[in-house]
Amino acid sequence: MTFYQSVNLAAELIRTDFKLRYHGSYLGYLWSFLKPLMMFGVLYAVFSKFLRIDYPDYPFHLFLGIILWNFFAEATTGAMSSIIEKGGLIKKIYFPREIIVFSSVAVSFVVLISNLAVFGIFYLFANLAFDLKMLFFLLYLLQLCIVTLGVAFFLSALYPKLRDLFHIWQVLLQVGFWATPITYILQIVPQKYITFILANPLAGIINNSRLALINHQFPDVGSLLYTLAAGIILLASGYFLFSRRVPFFAEEV
Amino acid sequence: MEIISFQNISKRFKLPHEKKNTLKEYLFFAAKGKSYEELWALRQIDFSVKKGEFISFIGSNGSGKSTLLKLISKVYLPTAGKIRVNGTIAPFLELGVGFQYDLSVKDNIYLYGATFGLSRDKINVIFDAIVDFARLGRYIDQKVKNLSTGMEVRLAFSIAAHADADILLVDEVLAVGDQIFQQKCFDLFARFKKEGKTIVFVSHDLGIVEKFSDKVGWINNGCLEVLGQPEKVIRTYANQKI
Repeated sequence: MTFYQSVNLAAELIRTDFKLRYHGSYLGYLWSFLKPLMMFGVLYAVFSKFLRIDYPDYPFHLFLGIILWNFFAEATTGAMSSIIEKGGLIKKIYFPREIIVFSSVAVSFVVLISNLAVFGIFYLFANLAFDLKMLFFLLYLLQLCIVTLGVAFFLSALYPKLRDLFHIWQVLLQVGFWATPITYILQIVPQKYITFILANPLAGIINNSRLALINHQFPDVGSLLYTLAAGIILLASGYFLFSRRVPFFAEEV
Repeated sequence: MEIISFQNISKRFKLPHEKKNTLKEYLFFAAKGKSYEELWALRQIDFSVKKGEFISFIGSNGSGKSTLLKLISKVYLPTAGKIRVNGTIAPFLELGVGFQYDLSVKDNIYLYGATFGLSRDKINVIFDAIVDFARLGRYIDQKVKNLSTGMEVRLAFSIAAHADADILLVDEVLAVGDQIFQQKCFDLFARFKKEGKTIVFVSHDLGIVEKFSDKVGWINNGCLEVLGQPEKVIRTYANQKI
């Protein structure tokens, strides 16, 4: 398959995923916005109103954290089951299987972009200033995609053979949600836990994204480099494992 | 020119006694050692197909014919041996099709075509031909799950047949199609032969096999028993059967 044909197939798979995801639902694509907004509403009520966290621009920190995390959680969960879901095709036709994982992550990426647009609208309404340093966010977005794709390859490579992975990953995502600065900001984490928190590449990505978009600051270079390295290692090893497992998919699904 | 060549191809499946898909079962079985059975679906298959040939494989159920087609299409990788294919492939394998049942016939044509490497523009050109051949003009906006089995098979075969690939793999397409569809298939085979396309055909209908094939192979228990002139091979196969 040529590159152009692969892109065309990916586009077709993305279109299919969107149609299937919302088929038979009344609100359709609106759910992509409603989910993070509802989550934001609940968490905002608990942390801002009940626990009285009073950090400047806390709603923005919270919402940005939620949508970035949601992308990671949805993309990895979706990619994990994508090989099984496309089992019918895999058993009948040969085409590069990576395209399935790519397009599954791409579907979540489209959702992320539309949620970032909502974030942008809030931003305009709140009359927050603009700053050139916000452009750093594009770099963090790229880092987020690399990390997500790496994890997606790991999970989709192993899941056809090891179906426990679905449940294991749900638990890990739960832990990850609280171990990542989403409902809180990195600055309030006690010093002795900070290395532990930052070991998770998503912590660095979310923290730097907040610094860029909300505080208009330069990145924390340490976590920027660490995340880049971790992302590339994850993607390379995830892809390696995936390509080792590919020949068995047609027999396992 | 050889368009497909199999050199000493074997394919082994590992069939787990009890499907171990969970961690507990892995840990449990790890202590007990090997818990699968080996099945050699194909053993030391050697043959080649020239461009423009119509080659058929016959044999009883489970003899390895479909596995052979899946090896040609690269859906399976061989356990041993070397396969060479010089050309694009349009596969029609094992009736079931890999359609998305909740999507319309139209959407499925675009998706299925894309897996063969066809862009939207290319499909737009052949769209009517696909629908006509499958006789599904009335149903293009229906969900595939509402089609009958025969219609579904017609649709899948029609897409593969119009993909304009060098090699067409056809596994039992005639089994569920009606009279009109069978006739359309025969016309199509005749046309493809004229156009110099290569067809690899699997069927239990020995009359059809004899009529169209240049070469026939009989696969018995994973081994290529004979390969050669259609009448001879079919006679050997039929005699052995009784």
